[in-house]
Amino acid sequence: MLGTLNKPISGRVWKFGDSIETDAINPYYRYPTMEELKQHTMEVYRPEFPRAVRAGDVMVAGKNFGCGSSRPGLVLREVGIAAIVAESVARLFLRNSIGRAIPIFVAPGVTEIIEDGETLDVDYRAGLVRNPKSGKQVGLRKYPPMIERIFECGGLPEFAYRRFLTEAATKGNDGQRAV
Amino acid sequence: MALTMAEKLLSRHNLADREVRAGDFLEARIDGAMCHYHASEPMVEMAQQAGFKDGLPRVWDKDRVFVLLDHHQPTLTQKLADENALVRREVERLGIRCFHDSEPGIAHQMMLDYGLVRPGELVVGNDSHTIGYGAINAGSTGITRSDMFYVLLYGELWFQVPSSVRVVLNGHQPRYPIAKDIVLYLAGKYGEDFAQSMSVEFSGALVPQLSIDSRMCLSTHGVEIGAKFAMFPADAATDTFVKARTGASYEPLAPDAGADYENTIELNVDEMPFMLAKPHQFGNVAPVSDAAGTRIHQAQIGSCANGRFEDIEIAARVLDGKKVAKGVRFLISPASQQVYLQCLKAGLVETLVAAGAQVVTPGCGLCQPRVGFLSDGEVCITATTRNFKGRKGSPNAEIYLGGPLTVAAAALAGEIVDPREMCDGL
Ligand code: SF4
Repeated sequence: MLGTLNKPISGRVWKFGDSIETDAINPYYRYPTMEELKQHTMEVYRPEFPRAVRAGDVMVAGKNFGCGSSRPGLVLREVGIAAIVAESVARLFLRNSIGRAIPIFVAPGVTEIIEDGETLDVDYRAGLVRNPKSGKQVGLRKYPPMIERIFECGGLPEFAYRRFLTEAATKGNDGQRAV
Repeated sequence: MALTMAEKLLSRHNLADREVRAGDFLEARIDGAMCHYHASEPMVEMAQQAGFKDGLPRVWDKDRVFVLLDHHQPTLTQKLADENALVRREVERLGIRCFHDSEPGIAHQMMLDYGLVRPGELVVGNDSHTIGYGAINAGSTGITRSDMFYVLLYGELWFQVPSSVRVVLNGHQPRYPIAKDIVLYLAGKYGEDFAQSMSVEFSGALVPQLSIDSRMCLSTHGVEIGAKFAMFPADAATDTFVKARTGASYEPLAPDAGADYENTIELNVDEMPFMLAKPHQFGNVAPVSDAAGTRIHQAQIGSCANGRFEDIEIAARVLDGKKVAKGVRFLISPASQQVYLQCLKAGLVETLVAAGAQVVTPGCGLCQPRVGFLSDGEVCITATTRNFKGRKGSPNAEIYLGGPLTVAAAALAGEIVDPREMCDGL
């Protein structure tokens, strides 16, 4: 499918600052269900976000996006965010997004070429993010093939399942790796 | 080739049996997996979504998966009780042998208490503070639930070898713990993500003087400065600690002379003031004296960062024969039952309770929070891990992070005070 990486994305930008923490993205201690989360995600930074976000919007953030507890940003996909583009992403949030095949891109300099509410084009194949209005663009970091494969499968559990099936088929057992 | 601790760790664990350097991607063999099934997204559901109709079909090694029900112990709601019951059934179905079920405590502390992790190992856990086992020279790091899913099945995981920053700590250990002040100082001076995705490798003349408790605080907080690993070298103190808990053999990691560090940071703690993080970010750091006079409503000591014996002991020393200030709720939660017992035997609990502190069941309750919520406009000073907006209840409450001495001093005074003023008496 590879859609989540290689399909160009273009969307209205919600711009956030540095060090946005997972407590703000996914405050599940207080809002344990996805329905509740959808109504409260990011509200500590932008109270109107849960109401005003639309399917296809793009999130742009500064450095260290998703710092704090290891919590996935699935809620962002649920409310319609089509891509997250940040100056840098906290390690676990990046792993979480890769593991769940949520389109996330590290593009140093992105916050300098785009303002809140403008449109941002994201082209993974070309390795670029671009502001179509100003024409300004910066590069985004490509992932190694190992990680592209995870995106391709739709996430790490799905990747695990595919490996399990392959190994079961070739070894005729329950998928244990031969030693 | 000269290697950093992280490069050595991952080279040793590389499935492809090749030496790896900073920046390389690899698939690594995992020695241990700390798994606390999270309520919000049980593995069962993830398995089914991925295609495993009957849930996870197996775990790769029944003796290397450690399941601990720390976050939800004791259960405060029906829902959590039902989720814990589900975990019990899963553990039984999968035949996982190491299961800490009916014991409250923070998973990370219990991993160390029970010798489930050893120097030189590559250990992962689906909680960010898994990084704390670096205190005893383990290469440990937090992974995500989907990563854990893969580890449970295969005992393998992809990594990118981190570049490393050497943190050289010099000076003298005073008669009270200063690990928290050290990490806050570093976060304040170099930014709260200065070690983003890096391996922090501690060295320097202070290191042998640091207790294992203090090393755990520093390694645990590695994640607040963005790190992937936060490792201490193994020394006599490490060996004593580990050998008292496990008979298993281990091979410690040491960096090679001439290893390639991206950065070296030096700190002489003798010149360091007491530090705190002001609301609402870990990196919003200032000397304690900057916030002196701020009235507080709640004080806390606990969590995987500061719920250890030395943290509670300093509070008892500060409060001995005195009283917590009127109107201040002082909550203290030992990190585990073992730590609790240690405190009880040393008479700390009696001193603290007599002074008016509340000792809360070991575990994550104080930190998440499950206990001790803050109301609008309240101020809390806490020796726990995080001070994000809303972390302890109301988003309109203010949370300051400080070391256990700073917290205890504030609990006594009813306001933030520079503990320097009381150090002579300690
Ligand atoms: S004590 Fe707090 S930071 Fe540590 S593992 Fe528990 S909830 Fe997480």
